[in-house]
Amino acid sequence: MAQTNRPTGRNRKKKPAYDREKANRQVLRRTLAMMIVCGILLFIPLMATLFRLMILDHDKYETDAIENQTRSTSVSASRGVIYDRNMNALAASTTVENIFLDPLEISQAGEDINLIADGLSKILDVDKGKILEKASDTSRRYEVVAYKQPQETADKVREFINENNLTGIHLEPTAQRYYPYGTLAAQLIGFTNDSNSGAEGLEAYYDNTLEGTAGAVITTKGNYETEMLYSYEKYYEATDGNSMVLTLDSTVQYYLEKNLQAAIEKYDVQNGAFAIMMDVNTGAILGMATEGSYDPNDYLEIYDEKTVEELAEMKADAEALTDTQEKEDAMAAYNAAVVTARLNQWRNRCVSDGYEPGSTFKTITLAAALEEGAVTLEDTFYCGGSEKFAGREQILDCWKKGGHGQENTAEALQNSCNIAFGHIGLKLGGAKLYEYADSFGLLEKTGVDMSGEAVGYFYNKEMLANNETNGTSYLISTAFGQSFKITPIQLVRAIAAVVNGGYVLKPYIVDEILDADGNTVQKNSTTVLRQAISEETSETMCRLLESVVTDGTAGNAALPGYRIGGKTGTSEKLDVLDEYGRQVDDKIVSFVGVAPMDNPQYIVLVALDTPGSGSGYYISGGIMAAPTVRDIFADTLPYLGVQPDYTDVDMSTVNVEMPSLSGKTEQEAKELLAAQSLTYITVGDGETVTGQIPAPGTMLPGNSQVILYMGEEVPTDKVKVPDLRGMTPAQANTALVNSGLYLQSKGSDLSWATVTSQDIAPGTEVDRGTTITVEYTDHTAQD
Amino acid sequence: MFERKKQAATSAARPLDERVRTVTDESGMLDIPFLVLTLLLVAIGLIMLFSASYASAYQREGNPAYYFVRQAGFAVFGIILMLVVSRMNYFIWYRTSMLILCAAVLLLALVPIIGTEEKGAKRWIYLGISFQPSEIAKLAVILSFAAMMSLFKDKMDTFKYGVMPYVAILAVIAGLLFLEPHMSATLIIIAIGAMMMFLGGTKGRWFVLGAVLVVGLVAAYLAVKGYASQRITAWLNPEADPSDSGYQIIQSRYAIGSGGLLGLGFGKSRQKYLYLPEEHNDYIFAIVCEELGFVGALGVILLFAMLIIRGYWIAMHARDRFGTLTAAGLTSLLALQVFLNIGVVSNMLPATGISLPLFSYGGTALILQLVEMGIILSISRWGTNQLTWGKKKK
Repeated sequence: MAQTNRPTGRNRKKKPAYDREKANRQVLRRTLAMMIVCGILLFIPLMATLFRLMILDHDKYETDAIENQTRSTSVSASRGVIYDRNMNALAASTTVENIFLDPLEISQAGEDINLIADGLSKILDVDKGKILEKASDTSRRYEVVAYKQPQETADKVREFINENNLTGIHLEPTAQRYYPYGTLAAQLIGFTNDSNSGAEGLEAYYDNTLEGTAGAVITTKGNYETEMLYSYEKYYEATDGNSMVLTLDSTVQYYLEKNLQAAIEKYDVQNGAFAIMMDVNTGAILGMATEGSYDPNDYLEIYDEKTVEELAEMKADAEALTDTQEKEDAMAAYNAAVVTARLNQWRNRCVSDGYEPGSTFKTITLAAALEEGAVTLEDTFYCGGSEKFAGREQILDCWKKGGHGQENTAEALQNSCNIAFGHIGLKLGGAKLYEYADSFGLLEKTGVDMSGEAVGYFYNKEMLANNETNGTSYLISTAFGQSFKITPIQLVRAIAAVVNGGYVLKPYIVDEILDADGNTVQKNSTTVLRQAISEETSETMCRLLESVVTDGTAGNAALPGYRIGGKTGTSEKLDVLDEYGRQVDDKIVSFVGVAPMDNPQYIVLVALDTPGSGSGYYISGGIMAAPTVRDIFADTLPYLGVQPDYTDVDMSTVNVEMPSLSGKTEQEAKELLAAQSLTYITVGDGETVTGQIPAPGTMLPGNSQVILYMGEEVPTDKVKVPDLRGMTPAQANTALVNSGLYLQSKGSDLSWATVTSQDIAPGTEVDRGTTITVEYTDHTAQD
Repeated sequence: MFERKKQAATSAARPLDERVRTVTDESGMLDIPFLVLTLLLVAIGLIMLFSASYASAYQREGNPAYYFVRQAGFAVFGIILMLVVSRMNYFIWYRTSMLILCAAVLLLALVPIIGTEEKGAKRWIYLGISFQPSEIAKLAVILSFAAMMSLFKDKMDTFKYGVMPYVAILAVIAGLLFLEPHMSATLIIIAIGAMMMFLGGTKGRWFVLGAVLVVGLVAAYLAVKGYASQRITAWLNPEADPSDSGYQIIQSRYAIGSGGLLGLGFGKSRQKYLYLPEEHNDYIFAIVCEELGFVGALGVILLFAMLIIRGYWIAMHARDRFGTLTAAGLTSLLALQVFLNIGVVSNMLPATGISLPLFSYGGTALILQLVEMGIILSISRWGTNQLTWGKKKK
């Protein structure tokens, strides 16, 4: 106390009161200053900062904060079904489960990763090491061990979880797409990838329609996934995807594919084939096939045997390499080759690839020339087998070396004469030809609702019209369908316009879109884009196209009872070169057929890419593609309700059914047989028929003669089928009649055609009266 | 009920020995507005602490009220202590100020030896309870400076009495803090020392010199210490490193910004769910903003401003120079900490670890702050314009 008193006392003595007052005032003044600074001024910038953050930038920070705090869990929507037009499901979904690990949870719960890896690798057939690797990465919370496991496997996993009381293994339901028809229309329909979104084909093009809207649960979550008090949760319901009804008919599609496969086999086709069937009046696609197909249920597999072999070889070679770098490169090349092979088999060539249409394009050239009046049906042309056109350096050879001689317009088309069409092209002119190509929709996408539609390539107008710069040369080639590319769907649409009255349509594959309850959401119908030629020209073209089948290069497309029209094409693949860079002699043969010609309804295009030279057939559209189209029409037209009309048809080309005549009098039998256009002879002299050849129900050609046994024994011995191949129709008929067999023919029975196949092999023993079906080929149809 | 006590002008002139006769001398009524404001802020602080710490307490301690209950206990103890101190004759601090200063320096010196290390710095000492000697040092500097300045009141314009002793003391304390290292406490000590010298009457030119010196030192420090300049980078552009150095400030801005005008509502903060670190500690004000909005935040700031203004008012009406300087110094300390804390939380200033007085979690800090409030209250009881109970009027 004494110490503290001392200085104060001394101060009091030394300093006068005046100084103290002054000092006191200074302290108070400074305190007041501090009060203003610390009590008021300091808070101004704080409040300004808070005002900026909380009021001015509030929205920005609120948005950021919500993003920071919310977690969204998706609720999957079920994917719509793809139906054909008869409501057969072509693509549908089923529920499967993904099995995943939560490595963090595993480590927190102290679970034995060895046990987990062991158990799961046994159930799921996954490498144990891989599971161990995934399970030990505790920075992760979601490591999928196996995707899309069927219910059965998932149940086993659940059992394993329960037995061992595990918490770190989870299952989540997901959808698996499956395709009941397998390879049928595979490139058209496409497939979905592992995450269930459309990857190819209609699945990709209509992904938004099919996938529906995934729902979501949006929850506010604390950091590290902790629960929040006052957390807000919003549930967005999932909307199931819409289903689609296609214009495609799976039966038609089956016939397309069956006949393409048969043609590939028969003509040793090297590079696959494609076909389109479309309704010429509506643009509805009934079938679209690309052979060299795949099964979308297992789309990663390579299905082309030759490619599989090549790839296996490539892989074996790569694995045999010892140098690490070389091996790596070789494996990379192998993997790239696998990817390319997959992309190839997934490709819908009908819309994605251009090709040289060849002579089928002459239809367009002629339709344009007739419409423009550049040529008339009375015009004549002379084909000497080759001709040097002014303005074209190369001498133009016709496919027929000897030449077609003098021919009128119709004959030029029937003969598919390149020289005549060179002249027709010149008469029409490049600019006009270009305009018609444009008008027929060959320079634009057709707009068909399919993924990956391409356009080919065509000359531009100036190139075709300008005679100074090779225009003549381009024009002549274009007039007969070479040196440019269009897509198959473009050609089909253009030819459809030629025969349907001139109307260029927008082709479509989806007829109707249905919601999850089956209500129609959208109904597609015919879209007419424009009229390219007049109805009159169209009618003329129909007659001309029919004449190509009856009197021209497409004789092999004739189908008794139906009026078929069409145009053949055999085109050089100008852009295919061999390993030395030389052009190879690969060809695409095609036929575009229309039926019935009195009232065109359906168009079928068949193209076979690179038929082999060893098939025994001359490589041409008329010989290979036309019969394929004929067979397709034979299968599909009756199915589609187009009944054959046998008026004016030689009944011997049509199969009729043998009636049961047992117990009938001769008179009764005669009437029944006459109804089927059959004739008869009798053996024996009984009152009633006791036996017959052939047996009741047998199909045999009309106009055939059957044998009725009136009391006599029916012979039961077998006869050997003769070898008919190479015979003309007359020869084949004689050979079979002599053997007591009937002959039914397919294809052109022109007297110069020869048998190229018979349905029952030579030497087979068959009952008397059996019908042997043979196919004739008109070998002169070399285009 | 209350009456103004008309203090005799002679009261201030009474001999000092008379003034310090008793420890609990009854002089007058303590300052009711200051008391009410203090209690209000403690109460709001506690409630906000409960809300802010709810998630982290549950996460770390398994009990959402863990931090709240502990802090409430400290608050009750602190308030009792505050009331006790307010009843004491504040002149006891005059007499013990040098002792406290010595103790504070001793404790600071002990920190490197017996201190507990946390995040690369030793700042805490455990002696029965855990506390930061730097907090005591702040109080010690205010009390000792006030005592010396009231002693040297007529020589404050000289270098020997007006500058040197304080600078020497500050140099020692700041040096020790700097070694911990404890940047923010170092700066606060220097700032509060400077404020005391300003209040005490040190001549203006020394502040100019000091300011130049401080700026130079800070610049040198930033150039040498990597983590501090990284703080500067994070301050200017937190988005550059959102998951590390910028994380805290980004999360804090989310909290403040999403509060808007009226806030998400009490208890409804989302950022407190383990997004914002230190949410019940240095960054509690961000949660106040998020839950109570701009209006609520402004309310809290206003309460602090009123408390501070009242603190200076008490200082200006103190009985003597020691009372004035002590009350003003303690109020300045409070103002400085509030300003720095809110400035950091809103990213107006670069990040330093300064808690919000009366709000932030921390038992010893709260108790000490309440004791400081108690000292100001005891000064108010001796003031020239005070309230007193009518019955006890002398």
